[in-house]
Amino acid sequence: MLLIKLWHYFFGYVIIKIVGEYAERLLNQAALQKLYLWDIKRENSNELTAKISIRHFFKLAPLARKTRCRIRIIKRVGLFFAILKLKRRKSFLVGALLFIAAVYFMSSFIWSIEVTCPDEELKLSVIEHLRQWGIKEGIFKYGIDKEYYIDKLLTEYKDLAWAEIEIRGSRFIVELVKKQLPPELEENTPCDIIASKDGIIEEIIALRGEALVKPGQTVSKGDVLITGKVTIGQDVSNEEQNGGNTLLVHAEGIVKARVWYQKAIKVPLVEIKKIPTGNSKKSLVLQFQNHIFNFHLGNIPYTLYEKKILKEINILPKPVGLKLNMVEYVEMETTKEFLGVEKASRKAEAYLLSQLEEISNENDITQKKMEFMLDSDEQSVIGSMIIEVVEDIGQKKQIQ
Amino acid sequence: MSEIIKRKISDALDLPQDIILNVPRVVVTGKIAVFIENHKGIVEYNSDSVKINTSVGVVCIKGKQLLIKTIVADEITVEGEISAVEFEE
Repeated sequence: MLLIKLWHYFFGYVIIKIVGEYAERLLNQAALQKLYLWDIKRENSNELTAKISIRHFFKLAPLARKTRCRIRIIKRVGLFFAILKLKRRKSFLVGALLFIAAVYFMSSFIWSIEVTCPDEELKLSVIEHLRQWGIKEGIFKYGIDKEYYIDKLLTEYKDLAWAEIEIRGSRFIVELVKKQLPPELEENTPCDIIASKDGIIEEIIALRGEALVKPGQTVSKGDVLITGKVTIGQDVSNEEQNGGNTLLVHAEGIVKARVWYQKAIKVPLVEIKKIPTGNSKKSLVLQFQNHIFNFHLGNIPYTLYEKKILKEINILPKPVGLKLNMVEYVEMETTKEFLGVEKASRKAEAYLLSQLEEISNENDITQKKMEFMLDSDEQSVIGSMIIEVVEDIGQKKQIQ
Repeated sequence: MSEIIKRKISDALDLPQDIILNVPRVVVTGKIAVFIENHKGIVEYNSDSVKINTSVGVVCIKGKQLLIKTIVADEITVEGEISAVEFEE
């Protein structure tokens, strides 16, 4: 029944008034002619109201004349009439569309900036900084690179552990979590200096505390190098009996040790390179979140290719995430180049030297040993390097 | 064929009587609706009585605020506060 009602609403119907003494005859005639009338109601002694579909209404008119009834339309109902009405009221339609467009347009701006963070001071400072970086009320929301601002915030505020930017409607919401910094050892907290790495002690200068190791001695990670437990008085055996002779101090000092680093790399003798052939093909890709719809013009005619995204157009921003990407497929060709032992070794060396630079950042290199050898299957060269550097391995650790 | 034979056939074959005998089928739903199948047109319609012609005479539905919900060639549904359904010869 609902379906029939919907059908009638969709195609439109009219509510009519039937005036005449023989209205019943009209109803009988209509029923015989298979005209469908419904909701027939007696208004008064010679008036009826009824509902009838538009198509049937036109067939009813001649019958009405025959049965000497008069029909008048009271109301027109249905989508058909609604559209008809709208067609006549063009400026209303334009206005309605303009209204929707205006709402959409206005909602594509940032109208408020919120920072959620328990720290009031930080909150104000972040808002101030965001303003300086161009996040203001009234800016267009689609162009905002959230990652960029998150990075900027994290570099600006070192004590932030986490930051998240969300654009919800016209609100720009920044969520911040402050770092819980590990408590710095205060000047006067008693502590030891321990080894952060394995190595051989080169030099030890105890500024405060007592050195436990001597130059030349091998230490492993975690060993106490300078202790903060200083024994007063000469007699060590006495100390254990009456612990009052031990003084806890904040140890300080420089412990330099020789430390080794090892690096290795394997370079194949035959190098496979991908070189673009110069052929390429462009195509449009519609991306909805993680789903990708391709509009290829046929298949990609290349066996080996690389995909490059030339341009990303955000149609709908993040929560919906509809993107139109311009993609270029570049045909590639593989070429094999025989390097030979000599060239491969040189390549390995270049890599190792770059690694060396990284390690020797600020430390002195005392020894460097590089070795190149052919792999057992004679397909590649293995370059290995051992370097010895002198660096400060001291690390403070609180005495429990 | 006479009425008696028809009725006997319908009895014997267990066929619905309204089809064999060409009589109306009147379904009364509570006090709110009357459905008549196989009618022969409306004789009179007022908000407190509806008279419908059938092969067995006029069926008179009495009540208040009666409304002809639907009417097609052989079916009619009357809704409202129904108080009586009478058969008039």
